[in-house]
This record gives sequence, structure tokens and C-alpha cells, in this order.
Amino acid sequence: MTVPSDNSLPDKGQQRAGMADKGDDAASLLIEDPSLEALREILFSHYRQQIADLEAELAEIERRISDKDALIAMLSPVLGDAIRQKIRDARAEMVEALYPVIGQTIVRAVNEAVRNLARSIDAQMRTSFDLGRIIRRLKARVSGVSNAEMALREALPFDVEEVFLIHRETGLLLRHISCELEALPDTDLISGMLTAIRDFAQEAFGRGEEGQLDEIQYGNRRIVIEAARYTYLAVVVDGIEPPDFRSEIRQLAIEINLTHEEALRNYEGDSTSFVAVDESLKSLFTTTTPPQQLSAGQKRALAGILGVTTLCLAAACLGSGWVWQAIHSTPTPIIIMPPTATFTSTPTTTPEPTFTATSTAAPTSTATPTFTPTPTHTASPSPTLSATSTPTSTPTPAPVFGQMIGSVWLRQAPSAASPRLGVVLKEGQSVEILAAFEEWYQVRWKPQAQAEVIGWVPARWVGVSAPERIVTPAP
Amino acid sequence: MTVKLSKKVCLLGDFAVGKTSLVRRFVYNRFDDKYISTIGVKVSRKTVAVPRDDEIVELTMMLWDLAGSEEFNRVRASYLRGLSGAILVCDLTRSKTLENLTAYTHDLRDIDPAAKIIIAANKGDLLKQHQITRTQVEETANKLDAVFYVTSAQTGGEVENLFRHLGRLLV
Repeated sequence: MTVPSDNSLPDKGQQRAGMADKGDDAASLLIEDPSLEALREILFSHYRQQIADLEAELAEIERRISDKDALIAMLSPVLGDAIRQKIRDARAEMVEALYPVIGQTIVRAVNEAVRNLARSIDAQMRTSFDLGRIIRRLKARVSGVSNAEMALREALPFDVEEVFLIHRETGLLLRHISCELEALPDTDLISGMLTAIRDFAQEAFGRGEEGQLDEIQYGNRRIVIEAARYTYLAVVVDGIEPPDFRSEIRQLAIEINLTHEEALRNYEGDSTSFVAVDESLKSLFTTTTPPQQLSAGQKRALAGILGVTTLCLAAACLGSGWVWQAIHSTPTPIIIMPPTATFTSTPTTTPEPTFTATSTAAPTSTATPTFTPTPTHTASPSPTLSATSTPTSTPTPAPVFGQMIGSVWLRQAPSAASPRLGVVLKEGQSVEILAAFEEWYQVRWKPQAQAEVIGWVPARWVGVSAPERIVTPAP
Repeated sequence: MTVKLSKKVCLLGDFAVGKTSLVRRFVYNRFDDKYISTIGVKVSRKTVAVPRDDEIVELTMMLWDLAGSEEFNRVRASYLRGLSGAILVCDLTRSKTLENLTAYTHDLRDIDPAAKIIIAANKGDLLKQHQITRTQVEETANKLDAVFYVTSAQTGGEVENLFRHLGRLLV
């Protein structure tokens, strides 16, 4: 057995280098070999074409995505179908997602309709006149609402009594607020049963639709229900709620769900984590008496009312001052001017035709014969008052004087219902009795030389009996 | 330290197995039983104190007593939503009522696979009329991955323990 010398054996490094050289040679042979290239062409040309096509498609897609108009043109044909399919498969989710947009639009439309109704009622009310309505109008103006709204509000009293925040799926009570100091017992059982009734109604009457029980009524009270994704609010109200009340509940329910979404989704039965919601729930109780800032119009109206009130007070003060002066100072309300020919329709020998003048000036006096002197009276033998103002052959009798035995108002006609002349004849004053009619005397009082007052006073306050000649016959 | 928790628990079982009797005697009951026959459910309350770690949990179980009659089969699924646990009640004097517990369990699992289940084999006091043996109940319980108690609404036997055990499962 021969053993090769050390020099004849290649070391391991040389062996590896030799193998590498051989490999490179082989590779170069593969590349350069046209038959292999032809084989490669046969095997991969199909894939190369596909890759080229895909690259072209990718470029086109990138172009469309970056071009907004092209993207819209691409999506439009399928968008409608996609939405329809999504609504069919997940209606609740779609409703929840679209509610903030569609819900607000619907609420706005309904509000507009209600406002139109209120306007028409308002127009009707403006055309009628009634003291109560005037007061309501003022109240409405100050409150910042329309007359119709105020009228409706007065006609429809409303109170919030209880508010339940209930976990929709479990029916567990999360929070409860009551307007009463003594809370309703077993509110957790009520919330459970309420949820059961809702479920039952949905199952029994829903017929596969997404509707839900949103109100239960018993007597004047109602349970108004508004649901959000994880909870629902059940509000016990008495009377008719204001127009925005339901949307306010709905908004509150949604807000609570958004704020506590995580806790509600994984609710484990600890309601103390929702204590902060109480304040929001309490806001529903204040809905009945909303605090309102006065608008510029309201402020103007209020200022106007205050101004008018001030003027009225000033006028009242002035008026009362004048009356006080009239009572306590020398009365000169009726100044009888010296007679003129125009006051007497017939010639008279009486130097003072004042009676005729005052009589004709007072339309109420025509009820009595004394105020309607006619020429025929002259021929009448009866001793009428007009006799003094008409020509007569009878000598003028001496005037009859009396003294007041009490203070009394002088009146325009012989009746307590007759208007006062603004003069009080005081006890002790001397008066001339001109005529007598039933229990009344017509008297003349001359406080000053140039002025005199004629009127009627009750006979019992004049300390003298009228002679028969001046008694006026009954009408 | 005491923590307060509330859980929804459903009582399920065939007609006349004694669900309502369990509720009537051992649970705070405000509403009339007529609700069960009208809308298929009545809600009652059972509160138990359950230890958890180093605290006591005051657990309020809102018990939804579901009608066993078939007419409410459809609405029953709605009532099961959101439950945390269930008491499956069978009548030891009627073997069919035990068999049907499997179907109720399937309904429950469809709604919530993690719901805690406990079996009440009721009418334990009517020994002479029993058609179901304790072994059979045990087999069913094992199959449904649940514990069981032989209870008697009549005598009150094991009823409190049943609720307490379920309480422990729930917290």
C-alpha cells in the first residue's frame, strides 16, 4: 500500500477553492448555454407575462386610488349595493351609526312642523281679545316663548317623577333618581320587569322589525323610554312632555353610552361606577322649568312694561293730588258764566236763567221734567221748576235757603248713582234750595261772588223742609 | 370591605318542576305569579353574601323565573340575553324533566357560553315517587359541567345552599 507524500495531497483549502472554481465554471456554462436559455424561456415566459400584466394592473389601481375622481367612479357602482347589504346584515349597527345624522334631521323636520302648528295657533289667538290672554301674552313675552306655546304649556302640566337608567341586555338597574325624597321601593325589580316587558313586546309585536317599546301609559302617568346601544332610560312623567323632551332623553342616553362605553360593554354588576351619571339624570327634572336668559327683545319688552308702569304710577299720583286739592280747597269745578241769550230758548223775566243752562248741559237730567223746560210750562198751573225760568204773571217767590246738617257730595242728578260734581257741601254751609224731587233737593251753593255750584243732595242732609211750591212733580 | 354586585340569573326547567315554588318561598318576591303565565317571566330578587378574596360581596341575584310551557319557547331566548348564571330545575318524580335540561343548557350556551349553571333536582322530599336516581342526576350534571343539589321547595332542604353555591360561582 502506497501512501502519497504530503506534497502530493491537496490541503482542504485547496480542495474548497478547486470546487468553487468548478462551480463558477458550471454557472457560466449555464448562463451562456443558449439551449438552457431557450428552456428557461419555455418554462417561465408564461409567468413573466403574468407578472408584467399584474404590474400593469397594480399601476392602474395605484393611479385610480391616487386620482379622486377615478376612485369615485370605481366605487359608485357598488356603493349602493354595499350599503344595502350592510343594512340587511347589521341593521342595528347601521342605525346606531347613522342616528346622529339622520336622527337630527328628522328631529329638525318634526320641530319645524310643530313650530308651524304653534304659529297657526298663535295667529288665531292674536285675533281675539281677552284679559286672560293679554296677561298670557305678557307672560309669554317675558318668558321668551310664543303665545301659543304658553297657552299649550298652561293647558298641559308636566312633571318628571322618576328616572331609571337600565342596562339594556341584563335589565339590571344602573341608576335611579326620584323627585320624591322617599325613593320608590324595589326599583331593581321594576327595572327587571320593565326590561322583560320590553323584550316581550319586541318578541310578540316586533315581527322581526327593529322597533321597540318606547312608551307605557297608565292614567296620567307615562313611562317614556329611550334606548341607546347598551342602556335605556325609562322616565316616569306626569302630563304631556314638552316638545324637545324625548330628544333630550335620547341625547342623554347616547351621551351616557358614549362616555361609559367600556364599562357598559363589560358590565359586571357594579353600579357604583355610574354614580357620576346622577347629575346628568337630574338635569331631566329641571326640564320642566328651564332657566332662560333674557334676549334683547325680552329685555326691551320688560323695559317697556316697566316704563308704562312708571307712567301709570306718576299719573295716579298726579290724579290723586288733584282730587285731594279739589276736596280740601275751595271747590270751583263748575263755574257758571253770566247768562247769555243763547242759553234760553224763550224770553224770560228771570234775571238768572242759570238753571236752564245747566239743565240743558246735562244729558242725564232729561229723565226728569225739571231738566226739559218747554214753553208749555208757562201755561201750566203746576209749580214746576221751569216756572222760574219762564215768563209768568205770578210774582217771583222769595228764595228758600237751608243749612247743611252733614257733609255730603253734590251730585249731578237726584240719585245716589248719579255722578258726583266733585264738590262736598260741608256741615253748616248755607245753600239755596231750588227744587225738590222725591228725597232729593236741588241746591245752589255760592262759595264766591263770581261762581256758584248747582247740584242735588239728599234732602235729609239739608236742615229745612222744602215748601210745596218748589216740589217737582213725579216724572 | 363589602362590595355590592348584581347579576342576572335565570331559572329554567319544564312546566311544574317547582321553579316558582323555589322563588315563592326563598326569594324576595314582589310581583304576582300571573306575570309568568302572561308574559312568560317574573323577576324576583335573592341577595346572598359571598366571600371573595379578602372581601365580602353582597351579591344580588335578579332571578328571572321563566315559564316552562312551550308557548313561551320563542320569547324565552330574549329573556336569556345578558344572563350570568342559571338554575336548571328538574323534577325528581318525572324523568323527562331531567332529560330536557340538556336542551335548556344548549339554549343557554347559545346566548352565553360562559354562563354558570347549577342544577336543582327538586321535590327531593317525595322519595316514594322518585323516577330519577341521584346517580342519574350526577351523570347529567357531569355531562353539562355543572354542580347539582337535591332540593325541596316544600321543606326548604338545600335551597339556601343552592343559591349560595351559585353566588360563589358568579363572583
